[in-house]
Amino acid sequence: MVELAGLTEAQRRGRNRARLRETAVSLGMMGPAVLLYTVMTVVPVVVAVYLSLTDWDGFSTAAFIGLDNYQHLFDDPSSTDAWYVTALIAVAGTVLMVGLGLVYALALKAKSRTNSFFRAVAYFPHVISALILGYLWAAILGTNGAINNTLAKFGIDPVGFLFDEQFALVSLIAVIVWAGFGFNVVLFVAALQTVPAELLEAAAIDGASKRQINLRVVIPMIAPVVTVATVLNLVGLIRAYDIVVSLTGGGPAGSTQTFTYLILARSFEGTKVGYATAQAVFLMVVSAVLALLVTALRNRQDQAATGS
Amino acid sequence: MRTMWRRACGLTVAPLVMASAVACGGGSDQAAEGTTLRVIVNITPNLTEKYWNDLFARYEKAHPGVTVKLELTGTIAADAKLRQDLAAGDPPDVVQQITPNADTASLFADLTDESWTAKTPLADQYAVDGKRYMVGVGEQIQSLVFYNKAAFEKAGLDASKIRTMDDLTAAMGKLKSSGYKPLQTAGQWVTGGQFSMMADAGVLTADPRWTAKRNDGKVSFADSGYLDYLKDYKGWIDKGYLDKSALGVTYADGQTAFLNGKSAMYVMGSFFVPAADAAKKSDDIGVFSMPTDGAYPSGQFGNISNPYVVVNKSPHKAEAIDFVKWATTDPAAIKSQLASDGNMRTGFSYPMSSLGTSVQKILDKAPSVIVKSGANQPVAGFSDELNKQVQSLYSGASPKAVAEGLDKWWNSQG
Repeated sequence: MVELAGLTEAQRRGRNRARLRETAVSLGMMGPAVLLYTVMTVVPVVVAVYLSLTDWDGFSTAAFIGLDNYQHLFDDPSSTDAWYVTALIAVAGTVLMVGLGLVYALALKAKSRTNSFFRAVAYFPHVISALILGYLWAAILGTNGAINNTLAKFGIDPVGFLFDEQFALVSLIAVIVWAGFGFNVVLFVAALQTVPAELLEAAAIDGASKRQINLRVVIPMIAPVVTVATVLNLVGLIRAYDIVVSLTGGGPAGSTQTFTYLILARSFEGTKVGYATAQAVFLMVVSAVLALLVTALRNRQDQAATGS
Repeated sequence: MRTMWRRACGLTVAPLVMASAVACGGGSDQAAEGTTLRVIVNITPNLTEKYWNDLFARYEKAHPGVTVKLELTGTIAADAKLRQDLAAGDPPDVVQQITPNADTASLFADLTDESWTAKTPLADQYAVDGKRYMVGVGEQIQSLVFYNKAAFEKAGLDASKIRTMDDLTAAMGKLKSSGYKPLQTAGQWVTGGQFSMMADAGVLTADPRWTAKRNDGKVSFADSGYLDYLKDYKGWIDKGYLDKSALGVTYADGQTAFLNGKSAMYVMGSFFVPAADAAKKSDDIGVFSMPTDGAYPSGQFGNISNPYVVVNKSPHKAEAIDFVKWATTDPAAIKSQLASDGNMRTGFSYPMSSLGTSVQKILDKAPSVIVKSGANQPVAGFSDELNKQVQSLYSGASPKAVAEGLDKWWNSQG
C-alpha cells in the first residue's frame, strides 16, 4: 500500500493496463478450451436434461412431462432388471479387476525381461476393441464355439457358457475382467516403482515378511492409485455395453442386459428418446455419485491413517 | 507481452477459422448436375449393399439426370438413422423399412392422392387415419413350418396331416424317436420371433383386433390363447424337443444347422426361401402352414415387404415420389425385389424353386394376412421383451409367469 501510494498516476495506470492485459491473455488462453468444453460437454448435458423431461420420440415435437420419465425408471421392470445386472457386473468386475491387477503387479514388480513380457501380455487385450474381444470370445464360448465343439467330439454335452442364464453372466464378467485388468496392472506397476526402496529395506530389517511388507507398506503407499483404478473401473463397468453386444447380446432371457445396453439397444432404437435420455441422465448421476463416494471414502481413510 | 497476446488471439481464432473452413468446404448435392436422391435402406443377408446399388443403377439408367445414393445405416436401424439425419437438418429423400404411425405420420409425404398407391400390397392395412404414407413391393408371410423331407419320411410323418398343436407335438415326439432334433431354434431374436410366428397365427386369426384390445387394456396375455401356446412351448422344452443350448446359437448358425439336416423342423418366415435356394436345399425341404388350435389353415401372420416412405422435408420430394412409384410399380423392379427376399405379390411371378412355389400356395390358400400395424401395433420394444420372456421358459419360468410378465411389462409402458 505504501509502495502503491508512492506511485505516480502514470505508473498506476501502466500497472492497471498490464494487469488488464494479463487477464485478457489468460482468458484468451483458456478461451478455446472453455469453448470446446461448453460446446462438447455442457451444452449436450443441458440438452439431455431438458429432453429427459419431455416425451420426445425423436421425430415429433417434444412435450414437457416433468419427472414422469424418472418415475417410469422405477416402475419399468426392464429397467430394474438391468440395474441388478449392471450392479453385479460393476461390483464383481471392479473387485476382480483391481484385486487381480494388484496381485499380478506385485508378482511382476521386479524389472526383468520376463516380467516385461507378462505385463505386455496382461495389457494386450486392452488395446483391442471390446467389440472384437466379445466376438472372439463368443466364437470360443458359444454353443458352436471352439470349447463346445471340442467337447462334442468326446460326446460331452455343451457347457452353457453363453446359453445358461447364470453361466452367461459369469462368462461376461470373466471376459470383462480378462479384457480390463491389464490396464490396472500397468497403473499399479508404475505406482510400485515410486515406493521408496529404503522403506522396503527398513521393513525387511525390522523382520517383516514379504507378505507383511506388501500388505502393510506397499499397498498403503500405492493406495491413491488403487482408488483411481477403482473409480475408473467402477464407472467404466456401470457403462458396460460393447462386450455385452458382441458376446451375449443381452441374453439369454435378458440375463446379461446392462443398463447402457437397455438405453442404446431398446429405448433409443424404439421411439422413446425422452425416456432413454432420462435413463442416460440417471446413469450419469449414479456414476458421478459413485465416483465421488469412492474418492471421499478413500480420502477419509487416508486422513485417518496419517492422523491429519 | 505483446507476442503473448498475439499468440493468445491466434489460439482463440484458429479453431473458429478452421471450423468455418470445414463448414464451408462440404460438398453439396445441388452443386452436382441433376438430382441426387438419398435413400436409407436396411442391409440384410438377402438385400445386400450390392443388391441395392444394382437396383438403383437400373433406375438411374432409365431416369437420366437422377442419381440414387444408398445411405448406409451402420449398426443402427433405419428409423434411428432417419432421426439422426432429421436432427442434423439433413433429411434424406426416401427411407425403406420404416412404418409410420399416428405420431410420426406427419414426417412423411401423404401419398393417398397418388392413384398408383392403391394397387400396392397391404396399402390400406398400413394406412394411418385412412391416409397412405407407406407403399411396399410385396408381402412376407411368417406362420410357416419348414421341414426336412428325409426326416419326415424316416419318422413316417405326413406333413399335410399336421393341423393342430397336438398333431405338431406328436410329430415332434416321432421325430425325436427317429433320432432327430425335432425343432430348430436359436438365440438373438429368433426365440421370441418363432413364438410370435407360431402363436399369432392362432390368436390373431381368432381375434384380428387382439393387439388393439391389449393396447386398450381389455385383454391380457395371461387370460388369452397366448397362454396355451406358452404351455405348448414349455412342454416341448420339458420333453427335450427344443434344445436349451440353441440359445447360444446365432440366427445364421441356427438356419445353417437346419439346412444341414441337423434338425427336422424350422418355424420361419417366407424370407427363409432364398437362403434354402442359395444353399441348393430347396428340393429337400417342405413347408406347411402353422398348425393352430382353431381354424386350419389359419391366417398368415405377415407384413409388407420392402416398404418405402418419402420424407416430407425431402429437398426433392417430387423426384423421390417418382422413385418410390418406380420401385413399387415397375414390373422388373418388383420382380427383382420379390425374388431377392423370397416375397410375393398377387399378379407377379418370378422363377421360383419348389419351396418358393409351396410357400406361394400356402399364401393363396390363407384366409387372411394378419398385419400388426396402426391400432394393432404392439407397444414399442415388445418383440425384445417377448424374446426375453420366452427364453426364460428354458430356465424354468412357468408359462403363467411369462404371460403375467408380458402383461406387467406392457402395462408399465404407459
